[in-house]
Amino acid sequence: MAAKPIASPIPVAMYPTLSVFTLAIGLVITAIFFIYEATSSRKNRSLAKELATSAVASVFLGFGSLFLLLASGVYV
Amino acid sequence: MKQSSVDLLLLLLALAVLATPAFSDLVLSKVERRIDVTSQIARVTKTLQVINSGSESVSEFTLTFPKFLGNNLAYLSVVHSEGKGKSKRNLANLSVRAANPKGIPDSISVYSVSLPKPLSKGETLTLEVVAAFTNVLQPFPEKISQGDSHLVMLQESSQYLSPYAVESQSLTIKLPNARIESYTKLENTKLQGYEIKYGPYKNLLPFSYSPIVVHFESKAAFAVAEKLVREIEVSHWGNVQVTEHYNVVHRGAQLKGEFSRLDFQARPNPLGVSAFRHLLARLPPRAHSIYYRDDIGNISTSQMQSDSKKTDLLIEPRFPLFGKRFLNISFGSPMIDLVTEKLIVQVVLPEGSKDISVTTPFAVKQSQEIKYSHLDIAGRPVVVLEKNNVVPDHNQYIQVYYKFSNINLLSEPLMLISGFFVLFITCIIYTRADFSISKSSATYLAKLQWDEVLATLQEVQSIIQKCLATHDKLEASLRDLSRTGDIQTCKAARKSTDSLLKDLSKELKPLLGFLQSSPSASHISPKVEELVAKEKELQEKLMAKHTTVVEGYEKKSSGRDIENRIASQQQKIIALRQEIEDLLEFIDEI
Repeated sequence: MAAKPIASPIPVAMYPTLSVFTLAIGLVITAIFFIYEATSSRKNRSLAKELATSAVASVFLGFGSLFLLLASGVYV
Repeated sequence: MKQSSVDLLLLLLALAVLATPAFSDLVLSKVERRIDVTSQIARVTKTLQVINSGSESVSEFTLTFPKFLGNNLAYLSVVHSEGKGKSKRNLANLSVRAANPKGIPDSISVYSVSLPKPLSKGETLTLEVVAAFTNVLQPFPEKISQGDSHLVMLQESSQYLSPYAVESQSLTIKLPNARIESYTKLENTKLQGYEIKYGPYKNLLPFSYSPIVVHFESKAAFAVAEKLVREIEVSHWGNVQVTEHYNVVHRGAQLKGEFSRLDFQARPNPLGVSAFRHLLARLPPRAHSIYYRDDIGNISTSQMQSDSKKTDLLIEPRFPLFGKRFLNISFGSPMIDLVTEKLIVQVVLPEGSKDISVTTPFAVKQSQEIKYSHLDIAGRPVVVLEKNNVVPDHNQYIQVYYKFSNINLLSEPLMLISGFFVLFITCIIYTRADFSISKSSATYLAKLQWDEVLATLQEVQSIIQKCLATHDKLEASLRDLSRTGDIQTCKAARKSTDSLLKDLSKELKPLLGFLQSSPSASHISPKVEELVAKEKELQEKLMAKHTTVVEGYEKKSSGRDIENRIASQQQKIIALRQEIEDLLEFIDEI
């Protein structure tokens, strides 16, 4: 049986920094998504671009909120 | 209590007479007993030297306690040791279990110890037994008032109760550094400082029992937790969180200090625990974020004054957390000197742990549950261990084994990511979907018509502008005529403007028709008709003027004549032009 202490895959001290950065990037990409929605007309919208932007934004936002929860003490 | 010990004595005498042969011929050559009653728990340490004087080898050893002690036995451990004094070595913890051999009266509890190897004839063995009893220190008097000292009573036997014959034994009772009210004086009794020594007594029969009572003052805190729930939550993101709920009462002489729950979880400011002088808790070294909460906050009782609250948190050097494979945690509460009547330990393992097993150094009741916590899909497995009557001697390590792979850690961020993605999909659908309820609604149609009317108006406007442009060309040709006197070009210009105007009026006709027919343009069409009529008038006048001028030139009449003739026409032309411009402006503004 392995007997090394429980270690998180990412150093615990980095949680706040990581959460700030990933959340910031996620929010920027969300902004890009909504700007695209607002400025394009109905005929010119491309579904592929929308889906790609929203997927990337949701990945970053998901990780950012996870690290935010961990940094604030809610060890999920 | 006195009644039961008298009963016991009679029974034992009867037994001694009957000399039950149920037990093997072991002889205890030397028994040293030491009872420590400085705290609320009576700890008895016995060192027994066992000789097998019989003919068979023996693999079991029997320990007996009088029932009133046995019922309160919280902790029992038997260790096989060698050497004496400083060179004493503890070899092994032997397994002990309660037994019920025949021929033993009900007023005795029996425990059976398995020896590491069978003791053959003539061999000796040294055993060290540690037993902890709760609730055997009786407060006497049972109710005291504020300011009285707290006196308790201990009932024991000066002779060691055992199923074997004892050659020599001695008993030492260690009391707290306080007043000793009274104690039973038998032969060979000495009081040295705060220790009472009974013995040595020699050559005792099996099951000999001689009751003694010691009445003394105890300054220990009789803190008893009626129920303690200890929840240990393991997260593989790097944290172990311990939450403890205590229900503590003071079991001394009726001074009930009601402490409601004390939560151990986490901010650094322990305010203070007890109404006793202090309740000490030892926590592991890497503990952080400790906070402590008292539910009601009201501590004072009517009978005893509560001292100022103070907590001591000492840090102990070892709290290893080994994982992924196993978790080494301490079983009992970190408070020292606290007796727990019912202890429940819940170990919450991360979601997706498999193959869970627990090893404990003593018997506990195990069960498994599911707990739903943050970001859980199927819930987290919980191992629940229960035990009654727990003393600090039970504060040993237990191990929980489980299998957990770090991939399962990813399920939590995946859940968050999918949540956000659903939000974005909703936005996409919202912007793409067409939410108009009906395509044939009246307003919708009216709007369409109005757009058409406007378009037609624009076209009418442009045609009128073109007409006006041709009028200007005609006037320009007249001016050329007056300059150059060239009649032929003038006539040619006239002809071309004529044909242009004809075309334009042709174009105008259908537009006018449309405007007249559409209902939404009803307030505009009269104006437009007026405009067209005026324009026609202007046309005619201009043509007339042109003809007159050309004739004049052909007849070679003087310029003055020509001007006089066309003067009135000229005025009308100018007026008409003005009106047309006004109408055009009006149409523009619609």
